[in-house]
Amino acid sequence: MKFGYTSWLPQTELVNGFVEQLKNGKLMGTKCKTCGEKYLPPRAHCKCGGVEMEWFEAPRQGKLLSYTMVTFAPESMSKYSPYIVAVAELEGGLRLLAQLTGVGPSSLKVGIPIQVVSHQVSEDRVVYKFKPV
Amino acid sequence: MTKVGIVGVGHARFGKRSDATIRELAHEAVVPALEDAGITARDLDASVIAIAGEEFAGQGAPAAVVQDYIGLSGKPTFRVEAACATGSAGIRTGWSLIRSGLADVVLVLGVETMTHLSSARATELMARAGDTKWEYPFGITFPGFYALMATAHMSQFGTTREQLSMVSVKNHKYGAMNPYAHLQKVITLEEAMKSVVISYPLNLYDCCLISDGAAAVVLANEERSKQMNDTPIWIEGLGAASDAMLISERPTLTGLTGSRLAAEEAYRMAGITAKDVDVAEVHDCFTIAEIMAYEDLGFCEKGEGGRFIEEGESYIGGRTPVNVDGGLKSKGHPLGATGVSMAVEITKQLRGEADNRQVSGAEIGLSHNVGETGQFAFVHIYVR
Repeated sequence: MKFGYTSWLPQTELVNGFVEQLKNGKLMGTKCKTCGEKYLPPRAHCKCGGVEMEWFEAPRQGKLLSYTMVTFAPESMSKYSPYIVAVAELEGGLRLLAQLTGVGPSSLKVGIPIQVVSHQVSEDRVVYKFKPV
Repeated sequence: MTKVGIVGVGHARFGKRSDATIRELAHEAVVPALEDAGITARDLDASVIAIAGEEFAGQGAPAAVVQDYIGLSGKPTFRVEAACATGSAGIRTGWSLIRSGLADVVLVLGVETMTHLSSARATELMARAGDTKWEYPFGITFPGFYALMATAHMSQFGTTREQLSMVSVKNHKYGAMNPYAHLQKVITLEEAMKSVVISYPLNLYDCCLISDGAAAVVLANEERSKQMNDTPIWIEGLGAASDAMLISERPTLTGLTGSRLAAEEAYRMAGITAKDVDVAEVHDCFTIAEIMAYEDLGFCEKGEGGRFIEEGESYIGGRTPVNVDGGLKSKGHPLGATGVSMAVEITKQLRGEADNRQVSGAEIGLSHNVGETGQFAFVHIYVR
């Protein structure tokens, strides 16, 4: 199973592990065993130099920090255009970028509560996205 | 320690240049730069070539072709890359070659060809400059990243749609007076506000142009600078910084930390403050980027950038004239050429050679060049 609406990099073990959990509706980050720093999306190595990371389940509730509606999409995304990309802050302070669906223009504004859900893009692709609560 | 001076500048016409490839554009900028310095290619010790993308250049290892075409084969050369800040990375590198004593006279050339690609392809390539693992797969584009910052800035500080468009109107006004600019066209506030949406809230007139172009400067050590030129322009402050790759990992969406850090360093090195800057070139890849730059560079307080343009403070005659050559918005943004073009414009301003765009009596200039969404940031201070 591939990650994202589009991608062209080979998929690493880390992403495969992330995707397996995402299919079950779980949003997984990694935590550095050396310094405790948490990463969402996950990283295989810590910025502190730590190489031992462990998975943790991230909260899926949060609020919208910013958004844009992309009307001029890259070549690889034109079939999905237009779409909303947003940044949200999840409970606990971690931030995430994803597409947002299910919000009409009148209720779309900074600060609205959102949740992160798993979304099957096609037979072989999965991604996470934001939905209003 | 020797000072480093700019002793020659040259600029190719920016625009849709289907008449030229990177080599001819480079030639068009280098010839006047050498002439301005009163030297020939033989007098150069080395070159630094700023080109951001190979698919844009249409040539693998593009610096190899360029250095030979402009008559420098045999001399040390290499290419530098820092996305949209590639040109300023080139100047920083050229400055370092001279300060280290490896060279006395260096050519820094920035060149890029972009318009031979379709808009969709160019958008695709630039989108891949976002994190290809965790951002690109969501379809976020380059205008999209800055649109996220615009939404946040508007929400947090009350920056308005009109204020964004006012940046565009100003830069088009000055671009129309610059013979090297891509789009030499005055626009009205109404036109700017009503143009087609690219990535809400940013519309077409909020976005810089996709252009072909080149710019060149000749740098020299103190002794050679004084021999070659009556008014060398000294690069007295340099600052550079970076930022988290993922926009979601940054503590703020309403400014660029890299810009702020680079500016602090450059001001400290030059021994000046933001108030001392007489004329500035800032990275207006999108209108919101110019508004954030006013704030990050200290021309105004955080959150006051919208008011700064609305009150005319960045026009000639205002507190700090900004992008009076048209900026990326109207002059164009051929990636690798942009940072070098900024140095060319500031040099002309400080020499008093900017014609009807001259900021009267300008003695201290600043350039601010950002790569990606702040992962590369360079600020240079120039003194007459």
